[in-house]
Amino acid sequence: MMDDDELIAAVAAGDDTALRELFTRHAPWLAARLRAALPPSDVEDVLQETFLAVWRGAGAYRPQGTPGAWMWVIARNQAALLLRRCGPVAESLPEIPQAGLDPSEAALARAEIAAALDGLPGLDGDVLRLMYVEDRPVAEVAALLGVPAGTVKSRAHRARRLLRLALGESR
Amino acid sequence: MTIPNVPGRLPPALDSPDGVDLDRVWAGVAAQVWRRHPGWTERTAARLLRSPGLARALVTTPSLLMPWLISTVVAFGVGALVSIGPGQPLVWLIAPGVAAVGIAFAYGPGTDPAWELSLSCAVPDRMVLFARGAAVFAVNAALGLLASTVSGAAAALTFGWLVPMTAVSALALAVSVTARSASVGAGAGVAAWTITVLASQTASGQATAAATNMHVYLPYLAVAVCCAAVVGYATRPQREF
Amino acid sequence: MNVEMRDTRRSFGKNRAVAGVDLQLGTGVFGLLGPNGAGKTSLLRMLATVLPPTSGEIRLLGRDPRGAAARREIRRRLGYLPQSLGYYPSFTVVEFIEYFALLKEMPSSAVPGAVAAAVERVDLGAKARAKLRTLSGGMLRRVGIAQAIVNNPDLLLLDEPTAGLDPEQRVHFRRLLRSLGGNSTVVVSTHLVEDVGTACSEVALMSAGKVVFRGTPDELTARGAGHEVGDAPLERGYSAVLAEARS
Repeated sequence: MMDDDELIAAVAAGDDTALRELFTRHAPWLAARLRAALPPSDVEDVLQETFLAVWRGAGAYRPQGTPGAWMWVIARNQAALLLRRCGPVAESLPEIPQAGLDPSEAALARAEIAAALDGLPGLDGDVLRLMYVEDRPVAEVAALLGVPAGTVKSRAHRARRLLRLALGESR
Repeated sequence: MTIPNVPGRLPPALDSPDGVDLDRVWAGVAAQVWRRHPGWTERTAARLLRSPGLARALVTTPSLLMPWLISTVVAFGVGALVSIGPGQPLVWLIAPGVAAVGIAFAYGPGTDPAWELSLSCAVPDRMVLFARGAAVFAVNAALGLLASTVSGAAAALTFGWLVPMTAVSALALAVSVTARSASVGAGAGVAAWTITVLASQTASGQATAAATNMHVYLPYLAVAVCCAAVVGYATRPQREF
Repeated sequence: MNVEMRDTRRSFGKNRAVAGVDLQLGTGVFGLLGPNGAGKTSLLRMLATVLPPTSGEIRLLGRDPRGAAARREIRRRLGYLPQSLGYYPSFTVVEFIEYFALLKEMPSSAVPGAVAAAVERVDLGAKARAKLRTLSGGMLRRVGIAQAIVNNPDLLLLDEPTAGLDPEQRVHFRRLLRSLGGNSTVVVSTHLVEDVGTACSEVALMSAGKVVFRGTPDELTARGAGHEVGDAPLERGYSAVLAEARS
């Protein structure tokens, strides 16, 4: 059972069965992440281009980050290319104010943040979502969650740190 | 219901996010990863013959593959270097035999393990026969002429063997198609040429007369035409299988 | 009707391999059963345009295969797996399937995608670039099935497709068969009765060159009521009909 780094090295050496194994392992979660920003047919196109890019570019991979992160970056870039060609897609995503980002970048950033938020443990995720996604004041969030305002503020601080880490992983 | 994940198969569609067909995605990736990129020869042949299938059949002719070609070049090389008399390199002796073997192995049930399947395909097998036979003949003729010219043979010896080569090749093909065996066809061609050369030696004291005596050219061509007719009959469409 | 045969006969000298068969087939999966020597392979060869009938009429995909142009058009939409299929040992799985896709005059741009799809459908994705000489008998048979389906044929002819396949692969093959019968006519010739039971909507039984039974697998099973030869109901029906035909 080869790990991802070994598989990518095998792909770089021209082993198509290694690419197949990588696809089996990673295509489902990549598809799920992309699906947050794109319709199914676009997800399929992007995924196809992503794995072709992996096939061609496996030689350039250096095993220091996580292979998953490397693949997500490729997928993200392919998605951006697609969106630039076809224009942004009217999908309902949580509205997060984006100053100065073009629409394709914004859609992907939203997808990334949504995915990262999903990964945050319960109360922290709720706090971030209520405060920054739904833009509610601290007092309202405290009331909704049934915790003191001070707890909300410290949780928000911790959640922001966790989120920064989560987003940092995928760069 | 869980479908057991059999090695070699992608996980079931249950694992795909809604609406995304991962099997289709993989098929698209595999199509590009696995695809074969035809070489220059094949691409040119496809344009000239207006058929990628016929071009592929041509470049996969057993007697035109690299190992065979190398052997042919070596055989002609030997012929160019070895002489049994002044100005008589052995190209004239070797060429018809080599071509006969090449043509016997170019087409037919004797050499194609998937021949019945090929018969059921849209590209007519007679076109495959014609393209392959012509190509093998042309390659052998060109190599032979090159060897002859380079070795400085007399004019009659340089070109004369082309006529018996046509006859012997046609015979080899006719036998290989009717006997359904490339080896039998090749053997028949080589045997016929050997007998002809020996007969010529006995009759006129000169073995090279088999290639240079213009009086036998007409009989050679008659043999070639008859054998071609046999091949035509044996490969008629909707023939007895 | 994709296949129409009227009083079709085929003889080899004195041997009457096919002794008068009438057959009309539309879309669906059609099983052709019978003992060895019953004439199944000759019938399939006539359907594959590889062998002409000695007498009688055949029309395939609405055309008469005696004309060269019609034959070529039929063959473009035909898929055929002969009973014994040789392989080119130095070819890879993909190269072999691609070769016949090209010979069937598929448009070149469509070939890579069709080949990849066919390879995955027969579950040989992990062996796509392996040389044929490294494959087992069952895998080679699956390569044969893949080349037959690569051009999405309207008429698919499979002669003993499960020869050499292990039971798990035969289950997978039956599933594949069911998926193929939607828009095309599939004729599966086999002497293994159980291959036919679940996958075929209709079955014909041949004996000594003639069709001695035509109906659904259930009807064949019903003919076996009370008959003793056979381990399974369908087998008993098969033996019963054969016994009647021979008497």
